[in-house]
Amino acid sequence: MAAKRVIVIGGGVSGMQAAITLKKQGMTPLLIEKDINLGGKLCRWDRLFPSQTPAKEVVESLVGQISELGIRTLLCCEVSEIARNEGKIEVSTTDGNSYEAEAVIIASGFDLFNATRKEEYGYKIYPNVITSVDLEEMFKEGRVVCADGKAPRSVAFLHCVGSRDRQVGNCHCSRVCCITGVKQAMEIKELYPDCNVYNFYMDMRMFGSGYEELYTKAQEKYRINFIRGRISECSGTIDSGVRIKAEDTLAGRPLKLTVDMLVLLVGKQAPALNAKFASELGITVSPDGFLKGMDCFENATRTSVEGVFVAGTATGPKNVGESMSEAVKAAMDVSEYINTLS
Amino acid sequence: MKRSSWEKYQKTIPDDNFYYARSCIRQNFFPGSEAAFLKILKDDLGVDVFDDAKHTSCTGIGYHSDIVPLETIMTVVARQFSLMNEAGYKNMVSSCITSFGLYTEILSMWHHFPELEEKTHDNLKKATGRDFVKPECVVHSSDLIFHFRDRIAAKAKKKLVNSVTGRPLKVVEHIGCHYAKIFPTAGIGGSEFPYVLAGMVESWGGEVVDYPERRHCCGFGFRNYLVQANRGAPVANSRQKLESMAPYKPDFIVANCPGCTMFLDKWQYAIQQMEGVTYGADGHGIPVLSYEEMAGLVLGYDPWDLGMQMHQVSVEPLLMKLDIDYDESHKFLGNNGKYISRPTDCGL
Amino acid sequence: MGKYFDLLKQDVRFIEGMNACMNCGMCTAVCPSAEFYNYDPRQIMDIVQNGSDRAIEELLSSDTIWYCGECMSCRPRCPRVNTPGYVIQSLRTLSQKTGLFVKSEKGRQQLAIKRTIGQNILDLGYCIHPTRIDPDKHPEQGPVWEWVYNNVKDVFSRFDAGYDTDKSGAMRRIDEESLNEIRKIFDTTGGTDFFNMIEDYSAAEAQKQGMAETVDGKLRATDEYMELVYTANDGSHTL
Repeated sequence: MAAKRVIVIGGGVSGMQAAITLKKQGMTPLLIEKDINLGGKLCRWDRLFPSQTPAKEVVESLVGQISELGIRTLLCCEVSEIARNEGKIEVSTTDGNSYEAEAVIIASGFDLFNATRKEEYGYKIYPNVITSVDLEEMFKEGRVVCADGKAPRSVAFLHCVGSRDRQVGNCHCSRVCCITGVKQAMEIKELYPDCNVYNFYMDMRMFGSGYEELYTKAQEKYRINFIRGRISECSGTIDSGVRIKAEDTLAGRPLKLTVDMLVLLVGKQAPALNAKFASELGITVSPDGFLKGMDCFENATRTSVEGVFVAGTATGPKNVGESMSEAVKAAMDVSEYINTLS
Repeated sequence: MKRSSWEKYQKTIPDDNFYYARSCIRQNFFPGSEAAFLKILKDDLGVDVFDDAKHTSCTGIGYHSDIVPLETIMTVVARQFSLMNEAGYKNMVSSCITSFGLYTEILSMWHHFPELEEKTHDNLKKATGRDFVKPECVVHSSDLIFHFRDRIAAKAKKKLVNSVTGRPLKVVEHIGCHYAKIFPTAGIGGSEFPYVLAGMVESWGGEVVDYPERRHCCGFGFRNYLVQANRGAPVANSRQKLESMAPYKPDFIVANCPGCTMFLDKWQYAIQQMEGVTYGADGHGIPVLSYEEMAGLVLGYDPWDLGMQMHQVSVEPLLMKLDIDYDESHKFLGNNGKYISRPTDCGL
Repeated sequence: MGKYFDLLKQDVRFIEGMNACMNCGMCTAVCPSAEFYNYDPRQIMDIVQNGSDRAIEELLSSDTIWYCGECMSCRPRCPRVNTPGYVIQSLRTLSQKTGLFVKSEKGRQQLAIKRTIGQNILDLGYCIHPTRIDPDKHPEQGPVWEWVYNNVKDVFSRFDAGYDTDKSGAMRRIDEESLNEIRKIFDTTGGTDFFNMIEDYSAAEAQKQGMAETVDGKLRATDEYMELVYTANDGSHTL
């Protein structure tokens, strides 16, 4: 009877969900998280679309189960090397330890696009150009204001920052920014009903259950202006406003607008670590750097290497629900794999 | 002004050994700037730069107004390279932004489509009997002044500081579109926050002001100016920039493209004639300088030897701020003090 | 794809400039011509990528392709790494090769550019020359330029001794050997043929308007026609 040790890399929602499911399947998971807390990127988030559930609730529930189930967790621990030797997975960490297991689930997540790379938007240069993550942190703190401390009278959201953009090497769609833009625009209107809110988009990709309804509500109830056109450049005005140049492509005319605040909906991109995992284990990555499953269907969480499984946004942009469902699938695949080992 | 890191956009600028390609527009409207560039490099900095009588226009204005075919301009550019080889030089320094953009673009096209380079060798051989070796490096003349900005600062007679208030002069920099928009990595600082002129201004004591239309084209647009019927578009674009910068009260504009330098100067006159509007203080325009003129003033050159009498917007208010000792009576004189005549209206 | 699309694909600038457009509008947003003209480069990209012969022929015959100033502000912004400015260049070349340029007011201006800038290059080796910037045709240049124009040699002599001499310097006289090399380059590389083609199509168009003459056995658009295309503006170009 083989040991049932499974290493889960990444303590975000998919990593936690995978570890919980593994434990419930009789496996012995070891959860490795590089940060000081479990929860990953969700720790920085206020409320989740489309239900406005506090992100904290989701994280606390998962962390609670981890603790109840007594799942061994390493915090502040980064993976330095990963290898497969004689059917075993060996993971070394930067603190000098190494761990052996029968299987590994890579649930290492995504990186946020660094908005300073789109120099034309002036993030970190013009003080009222912020990212969707900055805004989410403002929501968490309960204080959404311009750099001068005043309430914004107009806010524009720009979709596709660092996504669908060959100039920065990210051709993929980050999927969740569209609905995030709708959600955050509505939240601004809830805070400041008189604020003019604009969303600059190319396509509204309302793929999830309840998303289209939210988009409709944003238009009908909150009177948010959706302008089909991608912002080409921003500049600061003499009174600290943000001047935007875009095209209203449905009107076929260039458009200039000055707002108090511009929110860049930053996309998800593959972390640099993916390439390292891929080369050390011999698994493949997509052109955008996300890890590839064996196929896009029933083997989506298996890889071309035995004992190596993937889950969550490590394989591409996903929302929280999808990441958690995929984690369960990966854990079930791992249990099946380990149970077949002689 | 606050800017993103320009260190990302570095390029190799050699210290020496340049073949100078003059600019049609700069020598036409700013002959003193080209003379000053050569004097600064040779006399003040001891750089070997060769001014060849034999080179011609690169025909870039014809190319960008779509009457000169690509194959033709490639061969004309190849001839310039051949002249550079013949003179024994390795690096090309272009006075013109359009030419600089084209040299860079043509070298890139040859890299991606080697058959075009082959064809150009054949064409040049057939037409002139010449062959050519590509330059090791192509730079714009503003790159060189940027490269030597600290050495110029060390020799400075004047700083870009208001002599009365002691405060840095506020400078608007305008970068020619073809300097970095075609190839952002070919320009110091890239295309969004170019540093080539800002670096000079900051080294010499001035302060660069950002304004909303900073990156907007001056409006030249080749055929949009060359044909009289189209001139509304260029003046409207320059006006948009001037309107946008005026609230920041800049002391002067500096540009690295000869066309932009001329248009931002001349259109201020046209706008004043058409609308009665001026953008500087007290009914004056905003002086527009080439970077050679700016460097020349810093080094203590006489403004009229720099050719600043050829501007339509008077530079005197700026000269006074800089506390430059100039002689108004010498302004419109020719060589050796020869009296010519005076313009009917000396400017804004 | 139609014949015009295939012809465009022979132009290296089209290959470089056109991948696929997703109609985001980032080009039009910063286009100096779109600011003031009734003009939208994004729509040109979309029409061209759809490849319809009828639609491209309409473009080649229209004012639309002649508004671009080739500043290339569109180039660094396109998220699909297209260069609308390059596509315009290839359309303009094709419009001239097919003779369709004479069908639009802005297209017909090519003759004026050929007879000014083109002539300057072949005569003098410069695109522009101070003796050819006539204040009457350039009132916007103002009184200081008028002074330079009227005293060009004296004004230039203050900066270097090269003006109109065979020495180096600003606006030196390009030597005959160099000029001949430039002219031979134009002959060898299709530059001369291109100039003649602009003349020939313009002559045929001018004849329709009764503004052609026969010079050395060849039909040629008159100076009157040249003046007309240089100044005509029917006011339909802006919104």
